[in-house]
Amino acid sequence: MRVAIADDAAVLREGLARVLADAGVEVAAQAGTADELLERVDTLSPDVVVLDIRMPPTWSDEGFTAAEEIRRRHPEMGVLLLSQYVDAEYALRLLERDDGRIGYLLKERMLDVGDLVAALERVAAGETVVDPALVAELLDRTRADNPLDRLTAREREVLALMAEGLTDRGIAERLFVTPNTVETHIRHIIAKLDLPVTPTDNRRVRAVLAYLHSR
Amino acid sequence: MRAVRVLLWLAGAALCARLLLAAKDEHHRPAGLTYLSTDKALLHYTVALLAITVGLVVWDRRPESLTGPLLTAASFAYVLSELDPLFHRSRLGLAVALVASPLVIALFAHVFLAYPTGRLGSRLERGFVASIYAFELAVALVYLLYYDPGSYVVGGIRVDCPQCGKAPLTNVGWHDLTGAGRVRDGLTIAVIAVAAVLVAAKLVRAAPGPRRVLLPFGLAALVLAAHGAVVFGLDLAGSSTDFWTSSTVFWSETVAVLAIPVALAAGVLWSRSSRSAVADLVVELEHSPPGSVRAALARTLGDPSLELGLWLPERRAFVDGDGRALELPAAGSGRAVTVLGPEDAPIAALVHDPALLEQRSLLDAAGAAARFALENERLQAELRLQLGEARSSRARIVRAGDEERRRLERDLHDGAQQRLLGLGLALQLARARLGTEADGAAELLAEAEAELRAALDELRELARGIHPAVLTEQGLSAALRSLAARSPVPVTIAEAPEGRLPGPVEAAAYFLVSEALANVAKYARASSVRVNVVRVDERVLVDVDDDGTGGADPSRGSGLRGLADRVHALDGELALESRPGHGTHLHAELPCA
Repeated sequence: MRVAIADDAAVLREGLARVLADAGVEVAAQAGTADELLERVDTLSPDVVVLDIRMPPTWSDEGFTAAEEIRRRHPEMGVLLLSQYVDAEYALRLLERDDGRIGYLLKERMLDVGDLVAALERVAAGETVVDPALVAELLDRTRADNPLDRLTAREREVLALMAEGLTDRGIAERLFVTPNTVETHIRHIIAKLDLPVTPTDNRRVRAVLAYLHSR
Repeated sequence: MRAVRVLLWLAGAALCARLLLAAKDEHHRPAGLTYLSTDKALLHYTVALLAITVGLVVWDRRPESLTGPLLTAASFAYVLSELDPLFHRSRLGLAVALVASPLVIALFAHVFLAYPTGRLGSRLERGFVASIYAFELAVALVYLLYYDPGSYVVGGIRVDCPQCGKAPLTNVGWHDLTGAGRVRDGLTIAVIAVAAVLVAAKLVRAAPGPRRVLLPFGLAALVLAAHGAVVFGLDLAGSSTDFWTSSTVFWSETVAVLAIPVALAAGVLWSRSSRSAVADLVVELEHSPPGSVRAALARTLGDPSLELGLWLPERRAFVDGDGRALELPAAGSGRAVTVLGPEDAPIAALVHDPALLEQRSLLDAAGAAARFALENERLQAELRLQLGEARSSRARIVRAGDEERRRLERDLHDGAQQRLLGLGLALQLARARLGTEADGAAELLAEAEAELRAALDELRELARGIHPAVLTEQGLSAALRSLAARSPVPVTIAEAPEGRLPGPVEAAAYFLVSEALANVAKYARASSVRVNVVRVDERVLVDVDDDGTGGADPSRGSGLRGLADRVHALDGELALESRPGHGTHLHAELPCA
């Protein structure tokens, strides 16, 4: 797998490149700005682009804009956005397009190279990756009349993994159960929460996140 | 100066008396001419003396106005011009009469156009009056050179008078000036017509109050102008009808000249009646709200265009009711200025119609009556100004604080967090390089990494508390949802504005809700909170209502006080209602243009 990295802090860029190289990921390009990244990406065609949301010149959402531009120019390329904080609004904006190949993680996930590489592989494979911290925050919201209370503990776990973007298979592997069991859980969850039935892809993640967020 | 006026009056009285005697004396008139009856002559010179007297009285009462001297001069010229028929055997008498006679027109035009200040307002008026003087002096010069009193013409018939004098400067006789007289008559009618139009225009343009004062004198001017135009018209037509021979012309002239003192008296009487307007003003000011002094003064003085400038000693400038600087108009701008209070410490300035200067006493009385109200208004203007300054400085402090918070948050994210992440990556690399033979070192590194992650978590929370990035980047609605998501007490956001609001308003609303939710979590023992933020016109209304125990003390804790300061800095309002057992309700209104 070939990746391109964009981060304005050289120490992080270099460090991340070395950590990924150690883990057997080929780092095809590094860039300090969004423009530089777009230029490199056009010629080097990496499988996944890893980029920081805050980048020069205004350090607001240049990375976000660059990600949209990359997806427009290279729909086949995966994009993994790293952020100093995670926010449901951002996540939903990112997932607006239906084609997956998108990830949204807290920046500090780079400290666990195993998780990071797994996320990269999932994005490269066309899946959607949402940071567990964001999902946890959404799930932990307190409500007077909380429909999530109707779920069993297991169903809650499955719902969280659905929100993180895992496929049925992925969920089954994570929970050490069969895909059939996962399917049953999901059917119950959809019925209890009155969720829209969607194919197993990016759209399901968005529906679940939107549900959790608007609740 | 008063002695001069007394002497002038005595001279005027003597002159009129002498002319009256002369009019009765047949010796003074060319043979064959009839003059006024004794009664008419008495009336005529009484009216003339009255005109002189009124001129001197106005001069005495209004020394600052040129109206008095001008009216005196015009009246004298009027009387002196009669030296011609009565004293035409005296060369001096004739010379004086020949100069005075044309000047009567110029002086009366001057006094009417310059009323009430005695100063001509526009360049047009000044040029017009100057050209009348030039024209009339030229006429006087021609008569001094060529007038032949020996051939006195009355009603188109030349009356030969061999014993009469000759032209004063050249001592020649037998000149026929009929042609020059026609030119003079025609031009004089034109001059009178223009002057009448200018006076009428002035009456039309004046503000209602001053117009009432201008009107009698203006009407007198028009009457005199009409009379003058008819007299010169008759002369131009070669008619035998004139002042001395026609009873109609005599009465017309008597009425026209008498109208001048009557009009001035009417103006004075009106000024007196306006005293009661001042009394009304005093009562009105007693009951009127602050800021209405200008309107009250404008009503009392009858000048809706009146502007009021309040003196601010600190700025050494006049300001209007809204605190804007008021430039006083320069002299000759068509507006007059009256400064109230002592010169070195004025209270206020009135910018008004110059015609009001004729009502000096009314102006002074109204100014004195309004003095305390104006003093009050001035203090309020000063206070408002200081309040505005204090408020804007507080707003600046809050804004600077927000700016600082944002910078701090960014520094934490882009500085400390990046460095910690870099360190974490290095630790990871080191751990990978160490492999298994490092005798527990890998475990130590893993522990260090765990510590690091905890530090990063804390850092993220800290940064969010200082200034939420989501507020800066996505606005109030997203930031409120994020606040609600983290609240331990369930929060319902009823409404939140979707568009972006001005930064200080977003920050104030956010920190209000944040502090309110923190208080709910700490003290209220509530089971739910409702947050509602709506934009209504140019205000943003923020409501946070919980169903807890209530009884919150607004003075408790610095958090709420800080919020009140923040809200007040935006010129907003904050209210907290927290009756025991009825929950706590926080309501804020933030202006949002």
